[in-house]
Amino acid sequence: MIRLDKVDKVFPGASAPAVDQVSFQVDEGNICVFVGPSGCGKTTILRMINRLVEPTGGDIYIKGQKVSDRGVNPDHLRRKIGYVIQQIGLMPHRTIEQNVALVPRLLKWPENKIMPRVKHLLEMVGLEPDEVSKKYPHQLSGGMMQRVGVARALAADPPIMLMDEPFGAVDPIVRGRLQDEFLRLQKEMKKTICFVTHDINEAIKMGDHIVIMNKGKLVQHGTPMEILSNPIDDFVKNLIGTDRETKLLELTKSEEMVTQTEEIPTEVSEKDCFIMAVDPVQRALEAMMKKDADIVGVKDGDKFIGTISWEDIKKHINRISGDEA
Amino acid sequence: MIGLLSGNSGWLANFYDQYLGFIAFIIRRWDQVVEYTLNHFSLVLTVMFFSLILWISVGLLISRYEKLANTAFGLGNILFVIPSISVFGIFITIPMLGLGRTSAALALILYAMMPMVRNVYRGIKSVEWPIIEAGRGMGMSARQILFQIQIPMAWPIIFAGIRVTVVMITGIATVATYIGERNLGRFIHHGIARESADMIIAGAILVSVIAILLDYLLGKIESRITSPGLLREQDHN
Repeated sequence: MIRLDKVDKVFPGASAPAVDQVSFQVDEGNICVFVGPSGCGKTTILRMINRLVEPTGGDIYIKGQKVSDRGVNPDHLRRKIGYVIQQIGLMPHRTIEQNVALVPRLLKWPENKIMPRVKHLLEMVGLEPDEVSKKYPHQLSGGMMQRVGVARALAADPPIMLMDEPFGAVDPIVRGRLQDEFLRLQKEMKKTICFVTHDINEAIKMGDHIVIMNKGKLVQHGTPMEILSNPIDDFVKNLIGTDRETKLLELTKSEEMVTQTEEIPTEVSEKDCFIMAVDPVQRALEAMMKKDADIVGVKDGDKFIGTISWEDIKKHINRISGDEA
Repeated sequence: MIGLLSGNSGWLANFYDQYLGFIAFIIRRWDQVVEYTLNHFSLVLTVMFFSLILWISVGLLISRYEKLANTAFGLGNILFVIPSISVFGIFITIPMLGLGRTSAALALILYAMMPMVRNVYRGIKSVEWPIIEAGRGMGMSARQILFQIQIPMAWPIIFAGIRVTVVMITGIATVATYIGERNLGRFIHHGIARESADMIIAGAILVSVIAILLDYLLGKIESRITSPGLLREQDHN
């Protein structure tokens, strides 16, 4: 869907390139998260995809078409790509309704199509249309403004979204909620999303695919699982932090670690210690601690499929990080 | 004051004589007052008409071509500090212009440059970067960003500049009476020559009334066209 081929960006007067020979691909319907310290080039990559910044080398393709083709008008290109930034950038002199209607108006949608669409979008991002439509941005809270920012980017139903720290300006509790809601929306929308963050936890939570950047270079890319279980160097290890194993347990589904058996062990049935197959393994640990058990039963729906024991989890963690221990 | 304290023979009449004589003057010279006031008004309106077109364009231009900004401000400042009477004087020596309205209007337009250009520039520059960035990212063209974001958001600052300019031009226009303008400045000018306080006060008060009136009207227009979203004093809820 989106492909970068040896993309370079050297800003005038800079000694080192901001983006250095970066190639990767984002598949349709995926969220690809760019993560790295500030100044690593992640935002520049995002801004090159919609041509707010022009690369100095290499090519960027969207659906096989080069974005820098002579026939492509950058303004028209951007109207087809949703864009959300941390500072939101709502227009203070326009009502919420007018802000959300911005891109449909640029695309000259008929007016009778725009208003229902705006209403639908506001509902979708969890706002009450009757309450906020006629308000101005300064009358809303930070979290509400972020939601409007997302609604505005989704307005013309673009297949691609670029999101630069979209939930960065709100407090952690609101951020968590916005992330959850966005992931739920994404399950239905199946947009192709490029998402920039400096927070590895957000990257692991949001990403189908993670691209780790440092000093303009692509250091490692892969699924969150691949990156957590096999960090390529010390930089990536430091970025992930010391709680790599617990993060892995959050990502691993119980069914992947289950020891299949048909008989329910007595300890499990006595202490009524069960979890669901789709729950992360971390839930198994929590259940063990709560019920003071060394083993939990795993159910798929109503059906018992096997067990996970404390030993299994220990071995699993050892296998991942054994080489360092 | 002496009239007031003596108390004897109608202090009210005395007070009127001493301090409100200009009212009698205005009534006595009503035709002239109307003529001068209209002349004053029309000069100010002419100057403002051309200033708005010219200086808003220049302000927009220098906000885009940053390098021109300092030159424009330098020029505006120099023009602004030259005493008005000498600017009028210089203009009448230019053959095509001479005595009269053209010289007066041109000189006043030059005076308007500093407050207007500066405020247009400041207004455009006051629009925060993320709003422009979002506009670009949504696919707005440079033109759409200028007309749909920058200018509407700059209105309050641009308008402040226009209001200051109007009040200022109304005042300086009185000096144009020395190069043949028959406006309210003439009352002041003649009043000084004849040591007539009534004339001076009549001229000055009428000038102030025009200035206050124009400022009030502009204030009304301003609140009409400024988006309520830009009035930050509104309640946050």
